[in-house]
Amino acid sequence: MVTLERLDKFYLTRQPVVKALHNISLKVSEGEFLVVRGPSGSGKSTLLLAIGGMLRPSAGKVLVGGQDIYAMPARERARFRAKNIGFIFQMFHLLPYLNIMENILLAAGASTVNFGKQKAADLIKQFGLSGRAMHKPSELSVGERQRTAIGRALVNNPKIILADEPTGNLDPDNASEVLDYLKNFQRINGTVILVSHGHMADEYADRVLQLRDGHIVDS
Amino acid sequence: MILHLIKKEIALRKINFTFSVFAVFLAVALFIAFYTSNEASRRETIRLTRDMGFNLRIIPANTDMDAFWQNGFSDTTMPEENVQRFRTYKDFSFAHLTATLHKKLRWREMDIVLTGIADEIEPSGRQKTPMIHLVEPGTVIAGFEIARHLNLQEGENINLLNKDFRVAKILAESGSIDDIRLFARLPEVQELLNMSGRINEIRALNCLCLTADDQDPLLLLRDQLKAVLPKAKVIMDKTIAVAREKQRLMLENYFAFIIPFVVVACALWIASLVFINVRDRRHEIGVLRALGYNGGYIAGLFLGKAMLVGLLGAFFGYLAGTLFSVWYGPEIFKVTASEIKPIYILLIWSTLAAVGFSVVAALLPTFIAITQDPAEVLRGE
Repeated sequence: MVTLERLDKFYLTRQPVVKALHNISLKVSEGEFLVVRGPSGSGKSTLLLAIGGMLRPSAGKVLVGGQDIYAMPARERARFRAKNIGFIFQMFHLLPYLNIMENILLAAGASTVNFGKQKAADLIKQFGLSGRAMHKPSELSVGERQRTAIGRALVNNPKIILADEPTGNLDPDNASEVLDYLKNFQRINGTVILVSHGHMADEYADRVLQLRDGHIVDS
Repeated sequence: MILHLIKKEIALRKINFTFSVFAVFLAVALFIAFYTSNEASRRETIRLTRDMGFNLRIIPANTDMDAFWQNGFSDTTMPEENVQRFRTYKDFSFAHLTATLHKKLRWREMDIVLTGIADEIEPSGRQKTPMIHLVEPGTVIAGFEIARHLNLQEGENINLLNKDFRVAKILAESGSIDDIRLFARLPEVQELLNMSGRINEIRALNCLCLTADDQDPLLLLRDQLKAVLPKAKVIMDKTIAVAREKQRLMLENYFAFIIPFVVVACALWIASLVFINVRDRRHEIGVLRALGYNGGYIAGLFLGKAMLVGLLGAFFGYLAGTLFSVWYGPEIFKVTASEIKPIYILLIWSTLAAVGFSVVAALLPTFIAITQDPAEVLRGE
């Protein structure tokens, strides 16, 4: 489903060049749950953004569903991302002025395949947010916010979920709940790539990779 | 969807939006207020500068200039019909032509100047408010010093060179030779002085508005006059003429400066607010990008909001500017207040201009928004 070929990402700064990712080659199968673990600054988020078509690598290729996503024009890549990839962030990044329903529908709006309100309503029900659909993010608990973010990631029926520390701000119960939802997504043949600095997600994973200083050091 | 997002975002960040609308409101309101009251202001300026007095004196060419400056008028005369020649001559750039006859007299043990004034003639044929004292037949208008010295009262009957007159009015102190002047109608003064059909001066007001920057207005006038009255010469009171010109230019320059200044200040104001808005929404922009929204959509969010700012600012600015002019303009321009009327077409033009202005002011911050690296924001959390 996802193939990385000799991926490099360098950041040009005033300091010597920062090598965020170095010579990463990786294959993630369709329906696989992959956890990439590593300390802060190891390149986890960079890796995730590069896979999601958000961060052009300095060298190498990113193939998603067999397509080289950085060979696509930006507009086409954005459409591809909206249709095939769902993002979940540690800080949720819900739009503060939209209610829960609208936040979930926001992702649907960017996709050419619009599943509309019914799908959003189903997700809200599935994630136990039925009484909160018209609430703003500031009126929700952190667990509810993250469930909303998962709903937003799933509303377009993506093939891949890219989750950046999705449990980082949650208590153990909420964290387990979030990981359960991701596991459920995997069960319907979805691919999950989750980056984390902790071990909590390891038991849900089919495979765990260790990233350190931009290198995969263990698998 | 995009309008919905704009509306919701505005509801969240009301202060930023209100200040942006206020910037456009201010620019439009000032412009509309200036523009709506401009005609009144222009006419008021004309009136004020007119009240500074005549700036042209046309006298017989053979006038002894030493005596002229000593006495304040020419010691020789010219035919009264000279003033009529201006009616048919189209190229004059001056107005308020008045034929006068002056004579020094000893009256009631006092040296006075008797001045006969004819009705004003407008070469343009337009009706204008007269600059001269309007004197009714059989009456005189007395200067301040004459009235004080001889204890004259308004309504009192006097005898002047064996003819009876009524004192119609006593002038306020002017600080000029007018204080010892006795004004009467020209035909009556000509009859009293036995100088029928004669005058010794034509007074006029020149606007200098037809004079190019590199032209000497006096030379131009003398050329004009030579064609009509070869036996007359023109003298210009440059103090008054230049003051009029300076006043007119000052007003034009003032408007030419203040409007662009306000517009630029408001544009910077809006640009700053949009920039702050872009900075506050960096994560939001990053997420929208991650969700698959392209740069055009992001630009639409900011430019759409800017258009809304322009629309609302223009509408309320037009209303405020017009109401301000209509309500307070007459307090400022008391005489020409009737010229202040709402100009409805300006609502359309100011709306178009304000929307364009607001969008242009938002362009740079919007460009920053769509070119910012979303990964930079999302990675840095």
